[in-house]
Amino acid sequence: MSYINSTIIALSTPPGFGAIAVIRLSGAESISIVKQIIPGNFVFIPNKATFTQVFDNKNHIDDIVLTYFKSPNSYTSEDIVEISCHGSPYIVEKIISLCTKRGASIAQPGEFTKRAFLNSKIDLSQAEGVNSLIHAKTKAAHSSARNLLDGKTGAILKDIKSQLIDAITLLELELDFSEEEIEFTSTKTITNKLNNINALIRPLLLNYYFGKMLKDGVKTGIIGAPNSGKSSLMNAFLQDERVIVSSEPGTTRDSIEESFKRGGIQFRLIDTAGLRTTNNVIENMGIDRSKQTIKHADLLLLLIDSTKPIEAFDKYILNPDKKIIIILNKMDICESKVINTLKQHFNKYNTIVISAKNHTNIHNLADLMVKTVKSGSPNFDEIFITHQRHFDALIKTEKNIDIAIESACNNNPSEFVVTDLRIALNHLDEILGKTTNDDILNNIFQNFCIGK
Amino acid sequence: MKHKYDIIVVGGGHAGAEASLAAARLGNKTLLITLDKNGISRMSCNPAIGGLAKGHLVAEIDALGGEMGKLIDKTGLQFKILNKSKGRAVWSPRAQADKIQYSKTMSETVTSQNNLDVLEDMAIKINVANHVISSIDTEKNGTISCKSLILTCGTFLNGKMFIGDNVYEGGRWGERKSYGLTESLNNHGIESGRLKTGTPPRIHKDSINFSEMTPQHGDPDPKPFSFQTTNFAPPNIPCYITKTNPETHKIIYNVLDISPLFTGAIVGSGPRYCPSIELKLIRFKEKHSHLLFVEPEWLNSNQYYINGYPTSIPLDAQLKSIRTVPGLKNAEFIQAGYAIEYDYFPSRQLYRTLETKNIQNLYLAGQINGTSGYEEAAALGLIAGINASQKINKKEPFILERSESYIGVLIDDLITKNPTEPYRMFTSRAEYRLLLRFDNADRRLSTKGYNLGLLPKQAYEKVVIKNQVINKTINHIRSTFYSPDKINDILINKQENPVKSGVSLDKIIKRQNIHFSDIINILPNNLISEINQSASIKEQIDIDIKYEGYIKRNLDLIESVKNHEHYKIPKNIQFSDIQTITHEAREKLDLIKPETLGQASRISGVSPADITSLMIYLKRK
Repeated sequence: MSYINSTIIALSTPPGFGAIAVIRLSGAESISIVKQIIPGNFVFIPNKATFTQVFDNKNHIDDIVLTYFKSPNSYTSEDIVEISCHGSPYIVEKIISLCTKRGASIAQPGEFTKRAFLNSKIDLSQAEGVNSLIHAKTKAAHSSARNLLDGKTGAILKDIKSQLIDAITLLELELDFSEEEIEFTSTKTITNKLNNINALIRPLLLNYYFGKMLKDGVKTGIIGAPNSGKSSLMNAFLQDERVIVSSEPGTTRDSIEESFKRGGIQFRLIDTAGLRTTNNVIENMGIDRSKQTIKHADLLLLLIDSTKPIEAFDKYILNPDKKIIIILNKMDICESKVINTLKQHFNKYNTIVISAKNHTNIHNLADLMVKTVKSGSPNFDEIFITHQRHFDALIKTEKNIDIAIESACNNNPSEFVVTDLRIALNHLDEILGKTTNDDILNNIFQNFCIGK
Repeated sequence: MKHKYDIIVVGGGHAGAEASLAAARLGNKTLLITLDKNGISRMSCNPAIGGLAKGHLVAEIDALGGEMGKLIDKTGLQFKILNKSKGRAVWSPRAQADKIQYSKTMSETVTSQNNLDVLEDMAIKINVANHVISSIDTEKNGTISCKSLILTCGTFLNGKMFIGDNVYEGGRWGERKSYGLTESLNNHGIESGRLKTGTPPRIHKDSINFSEMTPQHGDPDPKPFSFQTTNFAPPNIPCYITKTNPETHKIIYNVLDISPLFTGAIVGSGPRYCPSIELKLIRFKEKHSHLLFVEPEWLNSNQYYINGYPTSIPLDAQLKSIRTVPGLKNAEFIQAGYAIEYDYFPSRQLYRTLETKNIQNLYLAGQINGTSGYEEAAALGLIAGINASQKINKKEPFILERSESYIGVLIDDLITKNPTEPYRMFTSRAEYRLLLRFDNADRRLSTKGYNLGLLPKQAYEKVVIKNQVINKTINHIRSTFYSPDKINDILINKQENPVKSGVSLDKIIKRQNIHFSDIINILPNNLISEINQSASIKEQIDIDIKYEGYIKRNLDLIESVKNHEHYKIPKNIQFSDIQTITHEAREKLDLIKPETLGQASRISGVSPADITSLMIYLKRK
């Protein structure tokens, strides 16, 4: 008999870059979750490693090797699916989030081992080891959580929690004490309060992305017309000749990933095929992937061949929120008058003039990249959500508050609205420790004159 | 009276009446010992049954075959559904009661019950052999032996009443206290504490000027508490609303230094949801007026109850302050307000059956468990009566889960939270509130009541038929397609967007502004007539369909914790031995001694990590 119902997921290889990464799911829903992100005709054969692909709807995410261990013949005694993918943090994060969206939850520290034990997969002599392992992991998680709660982030989280409890209190007050002489809160006030709470949560979520970006590397997309010097720039950054540079437009057909570090930040460079319309099928595939890169990049470097007339680049600046640097290349063979005109044209953006071929101004470009990445992320030194579990809990908190807002706006009775808010609070409790019904009632007794 | 019984119940209040009736109806030779044969189920405080969440408890008692619901339906003075502007899950009935008729009718029910003897006496000592209860010593009738004992002593154990600096011994105004039992339980290792509650003055009808107050009637279409009640046509006697003013408050402020709540005379903690008027003034200084409800105590009563004014300030100040209130300028007291302090036994010492962990076959129920309220007491009494019987007849313990009833929430909270102020039920205490509605209590619990042997077959069959009609209708609604020409007239009439093609009716009922009753007429005629046979069927279908998503979320939640709830912890376990659990958690677990992992997880200070460690420890054993 299993005492656990949820299906859990975690990266089981060390985080960061590597040749491959292994993601593991355990639980009754493992197969049904994974089925939704791989081709429909896939057959799960126990203990057999099978090559397949992961898709996010129609977008190909990665080629993977999938191994299925059928319950009870697995480490945890539950159905286990192991996904071996390429060792890129981006891909790992993507696959995990695809699964959590479909019902998997992020594993607690030591949870696979715990399940193995509870389902009698590990014998009694190992029990003590298991226990101390779980304890150590839990302790580590606790102490990191404590560190989190001591700082400014902790203050914000506690503020979020107390505001959420206040909102719940107002609704519960109305449900349990409607006979009292108390003024009740309008839907508008409640939804305002809830929107305020989510306005506090969202910067934390953004910050997690930012923190993760610093840790995993800033996805930097190098884009530009064919032959504008993208591969040369890449080589300039990396000081080697990995990418074949030729003067024939359209040489680069794959997106190639490399990385370098500057100002404490890892930049993951993605060289893309030139953006132009073409009939070449293979090249078109590369271009499709480039568009994906633009979509997922944290930072875009748009290369302009200063010797050519200005093309309509604006359409490639897809998202005005995306951080972008306009690079005016080929300063070595271009007149300064022309360059000034171009600078004028792009005066709304961060621009820099370089020669990729001669490696001129590359260091300044790198500094500009650091500055651009750091700009617009206020307080990132102080506020940090670094744990995926915390992030996961906050996302769910935010989501359930949104559901509650919608429910309140639809004039659903308060006890339904409060149901969603209590689920939101439960998720927040995963970070901050449990709230009991008494906490809510105490809040009512403290703040409202009850008792007829 | 004999000198040997299967089950003895001590105390004839709301808990004792339900406990002794259940015990006797389940076939046990039962004795009810009370200080006053004419005071069975006497209402010590407000003349009302039900109210938010309490109405749910009454409906659950009713579905299990208890007495309270049927009794208030017979003796109520006005009936009202509270929270009608809210959703169905928090609707709850409340009735003003005729205190005299209520108590009289219950006395008749108890004295006419087969297998049940009533003895006017005081129990003063328990006798225990080998950790099992064996008999009880009484003041006048000597020792009476029993297989099981249920104590339901209410506020009578070492009861002490306060008005100003006057202290009176007694269990209720004009009634003597009970002594000896607390000490006897203490001697057997059961801890006790003190709690406090209060009651307002009762005022002579002829001294009240009703024209200066606002009358408040019950609902014009009253609904009964009991699903078994038929031909329901109760009276609708009004209560009256008035309010205090700064002048009232000034008089009270002036005597605070000689009021027992502030002089240190009262040590027990009182209920924060029902504070005395003097505490209310201190805690909410900014409020210059408080509502008072002037309620009749029985039909053509010469005595009115001042709800909202429980107090223990000196008598002259009570009178002087109440005379500043509109309608009460010439008020004459029949009885002054007073505070009462009494012994209780912290509820962590109980199993979920309400048997004590220390002494086998000894059960505690009602206010001595640290609750307040007639409904809470009656619910506990019923459960104690059932379990005392189950145990001596070698049957399974009767345990209600949090996910199926407010009674389950009540008992689980008492044990895992071990409250130190009088505990009252609120809907917010029930995490599965959406499922635990007043209107579906019969559907939730009547099978259990019937299987126990408490709910009569005839009543149970009504519920079976009701369930069949509901299930049949919901199936029809989900699986039958209706064409636009049948539906669109209704939709347009309700200013809703019409449909373009055939749909099943659940899609329509899920719309915000449409209810099942709006579309009922397009169902097949035979189905309509079946639905119309029972009053609450329409609402139940509406809720089941409209809030399907929410209900499913609640059900999923129950499923996710089910394994914890059913994971039993052995009784002999020493939590202090489990090194991998935090110190705080070990102490709490040793104090409360939870019966299941689910209970353990609800104890404050016990974290999910502690539960994991506990689970691992249990598995190794």
